[in-house]
Amino acid sequence: MQINHANQPSAGRRASLATALLALVTFAGTVHAGEHLFGYVKGTEPLPKGAREFYQFATSRDDKGQGTYHAVDYKTEFEIGATDRLTLAAAFKSISLKTSGLVIDGYLPKDHRFGLKASGIELEALYNFLSPAKDGIGLSTSFALNYDRIDKHSGQQKNRISGELELLLQKYLLEGQLIWLGNLGMETTHARRVAIADLPPDFDWPTGPEMEIELKFGTGLSYRFAPRWYVGAEALYETEFETEVGQERWSWFAGPSLHYGGQRWWATLTYVRQLAGGGEFYAGQTDTSLHLIEKTESELRLKIAFNF
Amino acid sequence: MAHASRLLCLALPAALVGSTSGYAVTYLTVEQAQAALWPGVKLAETTIKLTPGQRKAIEKAAHVRVRQPEFTAWRTPAGGWFFVDQVVGKHEFITYAVALTADGAVAGLEILDYRETYGGEVRNEKWRAQFAGKTSAAPLKLDQDIKNLSGATLSCRNLTDGVKRLLVIYDLVLKNLR
Repeated sequence: MQINHANQPSAGRRASLATALLALVTFAGTVHAGEHLFGYVKGTEPLPKGAREFYQFATSRDDKGQGTYHAVDYKTEFEIGATDRLTLAAAFKSISLKTSGLVIDGYLPKDHRFGLKASGIELEALYNFLSPAKDGIGLSTSFALNYDRIDKHSGQQKNRISGELELLLQKYLLEGQLIWLGNLGMETTHARRVAIADLPPDFDWPTGPEMEIELKFGTGLSYRFAPRWYVGAEALYETEFETEVGQERWSWFAGPSLHYGGQRWWATLTYVRQLAGGGEFYAGQTDTSLHLIEKTESELRLKIAFNF
Repeated sequence: MAHASRLLCLALPAALVGSTSGYAVTYLTVEQAQAALWPGVKLAETTIKLTPGQRKAIEKAAHVRVRQPEFTAWRTPAGGWFFVDQVVGKHEFITYAVALTADGAVAGLEILDYRETYGGEVRNEKWRAQFAGKTSAAPLKLDQDIKNLSGATLSCRNLTDGVKRLLVIYDLVLKNLR
């Protein structure tokens, strides 16, 4: 596996960051409850008891710097308020992908193209501790369990089970016209790739168990500029550690969000661009200021939800 | 950017639908609210202009922003008051009316417009009745003296804060008017 390492924080700084994040995410969770002002950063508010929402997400991931790379992740989710504090959700995931002209040892084995394919399922639970409107600051935690059978980067078969825990914070400013959100999360993953028969003998495509830990930080600020319309900006930091290479990657994404919230449905459109990244690079990668093996240069996400 | 184009194809119609299909519902007009809160009473319209000092004092006492330093109010012959105010809801402004007795206690509250996904129960008589008799000395806090409605906490809080603001306006400005 030909991998370069650069742009990495020092080992001490990395360890401090990891320790701080791990300590903070001990109480963490994932929320897809209620209305999403952003594409990625999540709010704390649960659905009220008995309320039900249907979500459709689509995320376009584009460009790895060379060749052609387009992937769209789809998620269809149903969510219900089990109690006024506990929200439960189940989601069905699918993916379409097109990659050509770029081979990355260990990650992208060959050109690949397919339309919509079922890729996995997700189960989530959110528990709300503090309300942003009532308690000054909102605090929720949630846990998401994921099973995927397709590697979202290469489109090849890969069985992956992960658990994601997040701590979610929310603050209303200007009586709720301006909203701040903050997320801290940790995802642990166990994965195993399915062998590919026709690969060159020197291509690295390990089929043994892989274990990874990903730490996430997100923050966003959204302003209601007109009735039902919010505009905001969000920033995301993600870093992943795995047994073979230590810190495999890190990246900063940021971009704007536009949200419309109606009485019975809402929609959010978000564009984020990778501002900086590091960890592993692929052989011949020209822009070494970004991580482009597991991430792309940009993502566009659309969410639409209906409550009933 | 084929996928991006596809996403935009979904987003644009959604945005268009959203921008053109408002769901404005007016439950009561100002006149209907006046008749409900002060039945049979003739109200005299007046304009209240708050000085910067009064605005600051009200915000300090009520812990709520004064969004409009100039507003219309109505007065009863016996010294009672009628206000129409707006507070921030999750998606839209909530328009409500409050009647105050001559000694500055809430005589009643009516919701004129409420267009949020959850929390339509703010229009229920039982929820509105919680405000009856409140003065500026009352806590007016959710889960203390005002019951919260799940899924509409922001709306409940802002309505409660709005009533508090009107009570403080009465206390600091209106009760001394002749």
